[in-house]
Amino acid sequence: MGEVLHTLSAGELGRRLAAGTLTSRALCEALITRFKALNETVGAFTHLDQADVLAQADASDARRKAGQGRGPLEGIPVAIKDNIAVKGQPLTCSSKMLAPLVSPYDSHVAERLRAAGAILYGRLNMDEFAMGSSTENSAIRKTFNPWDLARIPGGSSGGSAAALAAGLVPLSLGSDTGGSIRQPASHCGVVGLKPTYGLISRFGLVAFASSLDQIGPMARSIEDCELLLNALASADARDMTCFGPADRALAPSGDAKKLRIGIPKGFLGKGVAPEVAAAVNAAVAFYRAQGCAISEVELPSSDLAVPTYYVVATAEASSNLGRYDGVRYGHRSASAGTPVEMMTASRSEGFGPEVKRRILLGTFVLSAGYADAYYVRALRARAKIRGEYLAALAGVDMLLTPTVPTPAFKVGEKASDPLQLYLEDIFTIPANLAGLPALSVPCGKSGHLPVGFHLVGAPLSEAKLLAAGRLFEAAHGFAHQQAAL
Amino acid sequence: MSTPPSDWEVVIGLEVHVQLHTRAKVFASSPWGFGQEPNEQVDPVVLGLPGTLPVVNREAVEKSILFGLVVGASVPEHCSWDRKNYFYPDNPKNYQLTQKDFPVVVGGQVEIELPGASRNVMGEHKFIRIHHAHLEEDVGKLSHAGSGSLVDYNRAGVPLLEIVTEPDLRSSAEAEAFLRSLVAMITQAGVADCDMEKGQLRCDCNVSIRRRGTEKLGTRTETKNLNSISSVRDTVIYETARQIRELEAGRSITQETRGWNAELVRGYVLRDKEDAHDYRYFPDPDIPTLKISRETVTRLSALVPENLYDRQRRYIANLGLPYTAASVLVNDRALAEWFELAVAAHPANPSGIANLVANDLLRDLAASATAPVSLESCLIKPAQLAGLVKLTDEGVISKQQAKEVFTEMFTSGRDAAAIVDAKGLRQNSDTGELEKIVQEVIADPAVAKSIAEYRAGNEKAINALKGPIMKRTQGKANPVLIDQLLRKFLG
Amino acid sequence: MAEGFDIDHLAKLARLSLTAEEKALYSSQLNQILGHFEALAQADLPALSDDARVVDEAALRSDEPGPVLGSAAVTRLAPASRDGQISVPRVVDDES
Repeated sequence: MGEVLHTLSAGELGRRLAAGTLTSRALCEALITRFKALNETVGAFTHLDQADVLAQADASDARRKAGQGRGPLEGIPVAIKDNIAVKGQPLTCSSKMLAPLVSPYDSHVAERLRAAGAILYGRLNMDEFAMGSSTENSAIRKTFNPWDLARIPGGSSGGSAAALAAGLVPLSLGSDTGGSIRQPASHCGVVGLKPTYGLISRFGLVAFASSLDQIGPMARSIEDCELLLNALASADARDMTCFGPADRALAPSGDAKKLRIGIPKGFLGKGVAPEVAAAVNAAVAFYRAQGCAISEVELPSSDLAVPTYYVVATAEASSNLGRYDGVRYGHRSASAGTPVEMMTASRSEGFGPEVKRRILLGTFVLSAGYADAYYVRALRARAKIRGEYLAALAGVDMLLTPTVPTPAFKVGEKASDPLQLYLEDIFTIPANLAGLPALSVPCGKSGHLPVGFHLVGAPLSEAKLLAAGRLFEAAHGFAHQQAAL
Repeated sequence: MSTPPSDWEVVIGLEVHVQLHTRAKVFASSPWGFGQEPNEQVDPVVLGLPGTLPVVNREAVEKSILFGLVVGASVPEHCSWDRKNYFYPDNPKNYQLTQKDFPVVVGGQVEIELPGASRNVMGEHKFIRIHHAHLEEDVGKLSHAGSGSLVDYNRAGVPLLEIVTEPDLRSSAEAEAFLRSLVAMITQAGVADCDMEKGQLRCDCNVSIRRRGTEKLGTRTETKNLNSISSVRDTVIYETARQIRELEAGRSITQETRGWNAELVRGYVLRDKEDAHDYRYFPDPDIPTLKISRETVTRLSALVPENLYDRQRRYIANLGLPYTAASVLVNDRALAEWFELAVAAHPANPSGIANLVANDLLRDLAASATAPVSLESCLIKPAQLAGLVKLTDEGVISKQQAKEVFTEMFTSGRDAAAIVDAKGLRQNSDTGELEKIVQEVIADPAVAKSIAEYRAGNEKAINALKGPIMKRTQGKANPVLIDQLLRKFLG
Repeated sequence: MAEGFDIDHLAKLARLSLTAEEKALYSSQLNQILGHFEALAQADLPALSDDARVVDEAALRSDEPGPVLGSAAVTRLAPASRDGQISVPRVVDDES
């Protein structure tokens, strides 16, 4: 039984736990065994508090025995990206800057998972402070793509995706600012959802770019993804950007076969690898064959998306990361001196190159004399991009593109070219700029490497995206796929 | 040749930081208040722990709006918050949440009263314009210990209303008058307590000099963190003199940030805070724009008290109070309202009531043996004080006796009439009886000399006859009546 | 070089100290990135409009004091502390 547990969906695990044919303890023990066998190879987790996990599992089993099971997630492990606060667990953001930090408080999503009876299972590796697309910027360890251990899993939620693809956990949380859930989901052949901005509370998510960041569910199937989404999406008065109870009604999914899908003009020409284009075109053909209306839409300002994103995101990041100075928590430099020297040394020792680059860029675009030319213009461009997306989505239910232009590259291949990496966010970035929900669904392979397609919908249209994903998934064999390790 | 001092004009603008009267902090729910152990009023949001977010305190917003209504400002439909980015150990996020572009209060004015020629004469009134007021968070407190420094974040996140004036002030006296008036208006509306000993009000003072009659403002200096009205006044005097000295010596004024040493009574240049000038302001993405409803503004308008100078004018014009009594009463809203209740009970003699309230009542409240008694717990109620004045007006007791009765009322809370009766203090105003006694005393040879002196023009000589009369009436003769009768019979 | 991009000034503003190699590398990389932002400089953009999201007073928090960490927890988090306060190197902005 232990050998197949890691292949089961969260839905199936939930059914067995409810039926009493499985205990949470047994499940967690099986996953811990697999963790011990594989984590050094895959590197998905930076931390796993085994005693704590087993204590949670025992508590869950006791609740269930007393007839107090809390729902479909009771007893199910959910792994957490290391930028989401869990009380008593590390909150390093895979950075030396926060290596000593143990969070004294729970994020909203951690509270929701506890209330659902889920097991908070370990800390997942990421690009430092969520800045990166390969998880190579982690200061703690490397994570590898389970489908090809010489390649990157994507980023910044690389650990979240790799853990799923390696069968180390059935569900994980990631965060997405410019594609950091969807891109690794695509590279690792799993499902990743970035919700509508404001649907899931950011209280307890370490901020990278406040107006772009969202926590999202990641899983090996649409059903599992939806299970997790339902637990996380709730009002939270501690986040003023999170929808209140009155404003968060999700649009109904409707009949998936009647969905209207828009293909942005010219998107497949944007440096997309032939096998990626082929897999995505096959997905389009599938929907057309189902009876969905496929049309072309125009998004004239697409070329502005990457520069706009990098100006807004780095500006906000440069301010959000100002608090890391060695004074109140985290790494403090041992070198003495004035407070300015101490802060400067702590930050310089604590941050990696990508973080420093983005802080410098963000500082520049906000600085006196340049803020109008860069930051203010970027806000205006952002409004224009959002307007174009909303106009396009008035005529269709969702837009379909590849998630990433090319499949996972080799470790180290793009380490010296940050600009090239930035440009690969072309498909995912607009959903963050416009605050729209977006989903990556596995749709094939490029050789042995997973490929995903990307759906973007109008605000609060998660149910439609998931319905479209479910329609595709049911006819193809990509749900629950795991790399052979 | 140096320019005579009168050719120079000083221009002063103030930025007053007031800690608003709330229970929790402005963007975090941690409590705050004076006298706590260090770092006991700190929660994850205050400390700026990773992942924490600000949520705006409704009471802080409403107190800010109330301030705006008190100064007759306009309350905009929307306001929003911005980040002011700079690194400093007392600044937990290394940015301060403030309001740069769309503050909660715009415009307004504060009426001030300058000292008059003497204590009893009302001075000139002037209006000082408010540019705006914005709601922001306070920072932690740094202290120095040996070779290091220590930080206490209890004060970090406390709601601060920063009130910025136009450069309308023209002297240290005006600056002082402005602060007194501002504090009175703020405390009387319940917006803040302004207890400067607890650091609840701090002031930055901008001073520049120009030649009288010119329009262009001179280069200004900013002296920061003044925590008493006297230090603001002294800073203005010092900085005015310093800048004039510099200009007269042919040097120019450097725009700089300065501090004030209250013990040495001098200013000094603050060490440059390393690029403190590029704050890279941008709208805070964690706090959406706030729409302020007109219903809220209307509801808060009902809480705006009468302006103290309007009240003062009303007391002088309508109630006939002398300036000194009126100005004492209006300085304390609770006292003024107490006074008005007493007048309502006995409208015929507001001045008499004012005299007792402004002098005797205030004195006794402050001087109580154990601790100052508050107006609320004072045993005398307004109607009772009115009753005392009424008795005096009716001639039942003399003013001298009234003082004695008052003291008894203060300690016992009993009515004036009851005390008068119990002590048998009723004045003898029986004209017939008193006439007889006066004539008897006048006929006494012992006072013949005094009578002669009085008739010769010495007004004061009449007092020598009053003593014997009082003796014969056990001190109860109505002194006013005695005086009248004496003058009548002496001619 | 992108106009006005002064890496020494920016590093100072951001409290970062960079080696000579880092300065050279980041300058070159960031200038390349900024060059890519030309599209942003040239685009025809609408004026900045009102905030997409406006909240009303219902989103404000009531003035109820909430839980605190306690000074023990605060000092436990801090790299250095003394008598309940957080220690830092001596701050100097008094007159010398």
